[in-house]
Amino acid sequence: MVELRDVVMQFEEKKVLDGLSLKVHPQDRLVIMGQSGSGKSTILRLILGILQPNSGSVFFKQFEITRLPRRKLQQVRQKIGMVYQYSALLSSRTVRDNVALPLEELTDKSREEIDKIVDEKLALVGMQDAKDRLPSELSGGMRKRVSLARALVMDPELILFDEPVAGLDPVIASVIDELIISLSEKSKVTSIIVTHEMGSAFRIGTRMAMLYQGKIIEDAPSEQFKQSTNPVVAQFLSGSTEGPILEGSLDAIATK
Amino acid sequence: MAETDTGNEALTANPVVVVQGIGELYRDFLREVGSMFWFIVQMFDEILERIRQGRVPFRASSFFRHTERAGVESVPLVGLVSFFLGLTMALLTGYQLQRFGTERLVPGLVAIAFTRELGPLLTGIMLAARVGAAFTAELGTMQVSEEVEAIEAMGIGPLRFLVAPRMLALFFLMPCLSTVSNIAAIFASSLICKAYFSIAFVYSLDLVTDALLIRDIITGILKSLMFGLLIGSIACYRGLTVKGGAAGVGTSTTSSVVTAITTVIGFDTLYNIVYTVFFPT
Repeated sequence: MVELRDVVMQFEEKKVLDGLSLKVHPQDRLVIMGQSGSGKSTILRLILGILQPNSGSVFFKQFEITRLPRRKLQQVRQKIGMVYQYSALLSSRTVRDNVALPLEELTDKSREEIDKIVDEKLALVGMQDAKDRLPSELSGGMRKRVSLARALVMDPELILFDEPVAGLDPVIASVIDELIISLSEKSKVTSIIVTHEMGSAFRIGTRMAMLYQGKIIEDAPSEQFKQSTNPVVAQFLSGSTEGPILEGSLDAIATK
Repeated sequence: MAETDTGNEALTANPVVVVQGIGELYRDFLREVGSMFWFIVQMFDEILERIRQGRVPFRASSFFRHTERAGVESVPLVGLVSFFLGLTMALLTGYQLQRFGTERLVPGLVAIAFTRELGPLLTGIMLAARVGAAFTAELGTMQVSEEVEAIEAMGIGPLRFLVAPRMLALFFLMPCLSTVSNIAAIFASSLICKAYFSIAFVYSLDLVTDALLIRDIITGILKSLMFGLLIGSIACYRGLTVKGGAAGVGTSTTSSVVTAITTVIGFDTLYNIVYTVFFPT
């Protein structure tokens, strides 16, 4: 479904992705874990074609995203839904208008048809009562749910989640996790979830990948990933301060 | 003082540094102009592509919303400022012309000055400050809160969706607001003429219609249209290229207003030079 081949991505002096390769199969719920600033969200933006890699290729189905002309890229993007870390809802539009936006702009559906789909998707995420409210009137969890409804509205084949539960309380985080699982099972969509919330990652993921120093250093089914003997993965999962991840950086902090 | 002397010495000692500095400024300027040109081309490309698909590039409701915000709500400001300027201009020129007994030239003078030059220019400056700043801040905030990226990620062209209705609104509004400015100034000058120089309203109007030529009006309208396009593109470009969060939005908004006002005045001068060379009479 999605494949990244030897992707190198550099922002000015900093090489964020350094020859990264990754394959995502249909109906996978792949969780990508890694430290803050390690390039997890960059991977999602590369799949959407919003960022262009310095070298390497990104494929979505039969399309090579990195070589698609803008027109074709816009069509391909309609098959991909994205849920942003801070929801990225259009602040001047109501919940209904936010969810309806892709349908209004990209399809020839009538107002009645659009309303029906919007109601259906909002009901899926339990937000049908907030239809006429503005994003500023919603809590963080509610915004995430509306963002998910918007991502689902075009019936995508792939959904990308950027830190779906970051900043949410544990109960709401579990609600979002359950929602992601049930939607992916019901709609048979493939999901890529970027997170460093351990509990959420193991609840949602059917496969886990660990991004470290610009490369995927471990890629395995959830249970196998938990038992990984890789010292970086083991340290990340245990949250220990001792291990290869902070090597050198703790000494630097102590010296300061 | 010593430091300044040292600095001056360094500059005079090494003119290469000065030339290099000028070169860098020039390069940055060209890069900025090129990016803005490319930005406009991309917008038209997105619009044409949309039309080719048999769809409207943006919703009429979006266009009218911006028209109302940018235009209708600017009428009081443009009208009031032009009214006061018309009063002042008529009063000051009237007293000078009265010494030669030619005060009846005042209505025509104000009408020509505003229709050809001051109306479009003043409106341009006011809209750059009022509407241009609002467009930059609005798009800049959308940019930093990832709303623009979300629109792009859905497969919607952000330029035709966000920029085109705003630019078109300014493009069509500028001549309308310039006309408001002209009418306010002419009305103000006729008040002064009546109060201080005993020129009746009807006679003032006659003098205005006698003095104004069709080409004065066309010149003013052409200028206004160009100013609208310039202000719109600068404001939207600055908004969509915001970097660095809330502080970045502030910096870009200031930069947008300064650039738009400078560009409007610069373009006005260029237009006048070209116009005077090709149509001297």
